[in-house]
Amino acid sequence: MPKRKLDPLPSAAFQILLALADEDLHGYGIMRQVAEQTCNRMRLGPGTLYSSIQSLLAEKLIEEVGLGEDEKLGQERRRYYRLTSAGRKLARSEAERLADLLRVARVKKIFRGEYV
Amino acid sequence: MSDKVYSWLLRLYPSHFREAYGEEARQLFRDRARAEKGFLPAVRLWLDLLVDLAISVPREYRYGQPQVRAATRQPVEALPSFHVLEVEPPRFGALFLGALFSLVALYGISVLFSHPGEYRRDGASFPPRQTQVDARPSPSGPALSHAATTAYKRMAASGQPVDARLRADASNPSDSQSKAPLPVGQTSSPQEQVSQLMPQSASHSMNRLAEEVKLDAAERQLVLNTVIKNLQEHYFDPEVARKATNELRGHQHDYDGVIEGGTFARLLTGLIREVSHDRHLEVVYSQSRLPAQPPTPTPEALARYQQRLQQENCTFEKVAILPHNVGYLKLNSFPEPSICRQTAMAAMAALNQAKAIIFDLRDNGGGFAPMVSFLAAYLFDHPEYLYDPRVSPTQQSWTRSPVPGNQLADKPVYVLTSTSTVSAAEQFCYDLKMLKRATFVGERTRGSAHAGIWYRIDDHFGMGIPETRPVNPFSKTDWEGTGVEPDVKVKAADALVTAEKLAERKMLRR
Repeated sequence: MPKRKLDPLPSAAFQILLALADEDLHGYGIMRQVAEQTCNRMRLGPGTLYSSIQSLLAEKLIEEVGLGEDEKLGQERRRYYRLTSAGRKLARSEAERLADLLRVARVKKIFRGEYV
Repeated sequence: MSDKVYSWLLRLYPSHFREAYGEEARQLFRDRARAEKGFLPAVRLWLDLLVDLAISVPREYRYGQPQVRAATRQPVEALPSFHVLEVEPPRFGALFLGALFSLVALYGISVLFSHPGEYRRDGASFPPRQTQVDARPSPSGPALSHAATTAYKRMAASGQPVDARLRADASNPSDSQSKAPLPVGQTSSPQEQVSQLMPQSASHSMNRLAEEVKLDAAERQLVLNTVIKNLQEHYFDPEVARKATNELRGHQHDYDGVIEGGTFARLLTGLIREVSHDRHLEVVYSQSRLPAQPPTPTPEALARYQQRLQQENCTFEKVAILPHNVGYLKLNSFPEPSICRQTAMAAMAALNQAKAIIFDLRDNGGGFAPMVSFLAAYLFDHPEYLYDPRVSPTQQSWTRSPVPGNQLADKPVYVLTSTSTVSAAEQFCYDLKMLKRATFVGERTRGSAHAGIWYRIDDHFGMGIPETRPVNPFSKTDWEGTGVEPDVKVKAADALVTAEKLAERKMLRR
């Protein structure tokens, strides 16, 4: 079986890394954070979410930080995930890559006026 | 409820994923379902889930890494070791599918077995033949047919019924032999006869030798001369024999360089038939050595034959009245009437009240023309001429109809045929077909008329010559090489059911 590749980084995985940048989150929290930071354009389904988490874990880009409760969601215990330093590094380099792209796009004047 | 549906959908994922994240995925689903209430959000939720499933299930199967769950023990160098990838037993669904596929495969194999397709039963030693020349698929090969033919010839010479001829040849060594005893007093199979004549090892080395031997000019000349001599001496029409002789001599230069026996035999046969238009004239080449002396039918063998016929009820295998009062007779040979007249009469009497009659000749290996005539007599109310390619018309060529007390003369007749329907059985079929007296259901019959009398030329050549002038009032050709075509073509195995339906339909119309 071929190993799942994170290079290039799939956008779902990148969004998860970004979602975990501020705080540790559980699966549903990641999903909501991703939805929020993409203006509800990307709603990760459970399958996509957990398979991405699985491969990020395998690459040690995120880690599990044990079970905890989320008061807003009731008594259920949830598994929380945290960004590792390798994950943060990868997220930064991916952001830089995108920034480069953005710069090129700006030079080529394919943005309309309202964008920076 | 929706939670249950989703848990069920989760089963689509590979087990390692379900185990690791199944519970969390359900939790996430519950959280979303709780947060997104109302009709539209619910629709959007399910749409998301389905899209998610469609994308991630195949990906999980493609990339998902089954983890090594357990190893039997630490691998020892140079020893094979086993790692168990999955510890869970096969799922019920997998077992069910496995069982289903096994059943399908088994059924497929059995279907293939019951439809073996067409295959030839010829002896392996026979060279490839052209239909025109030697279409008679003699089941036992030329050496055997020779044994049978010579036996027949002696029988004919000794005053026995001429129709006794090639039965030994016709009875198929593989399937019908047990059912169709060999007339002509040969209870041993043709195979045995030959092996009696030639020790096994000897015949084997002969065969090998035969393959290496090529025709030379001397043998060609010898064969040609003997063919001409036999034609002139034995063919019933001297004028045709003379013409054929001229034809053969006229093509002398064509023979040079023909070194393959089969080709030479076909060439001669073609020339003879061109002039004579007689399909029963043929020159045959046999790769294996033709035995010099025919086997002798001893009185003991004749007695054994008679005893065996009586044990087997004269090969009248089954006489029955089927539903709708359809009479059914399964007959596996046409035995000698002198032995089996009583049996035949009893069988026909048992069917006398039937509204229709089915003759099952699918396993009929042939027999004696008088029995053909004896049985056919029940189907007519006046004497009918039955063509037999082996004899000039005699008084016996006419059926002894009407048979006193018989009520079958105007009843519908169905005849079941197969590729194993041979010789005298084909005569029965051919004549009834020409007289339009029966409907034929099944497969084309084998195509063995066995009309010629066999003459041995040398170790590898022989020829068949009809010595009588048969009168065929129906057509220029008979079933030699072509068989009798059924009216309703179905597989032999389905013939009975088809004929029953036909009979039933016909009676409803009446």
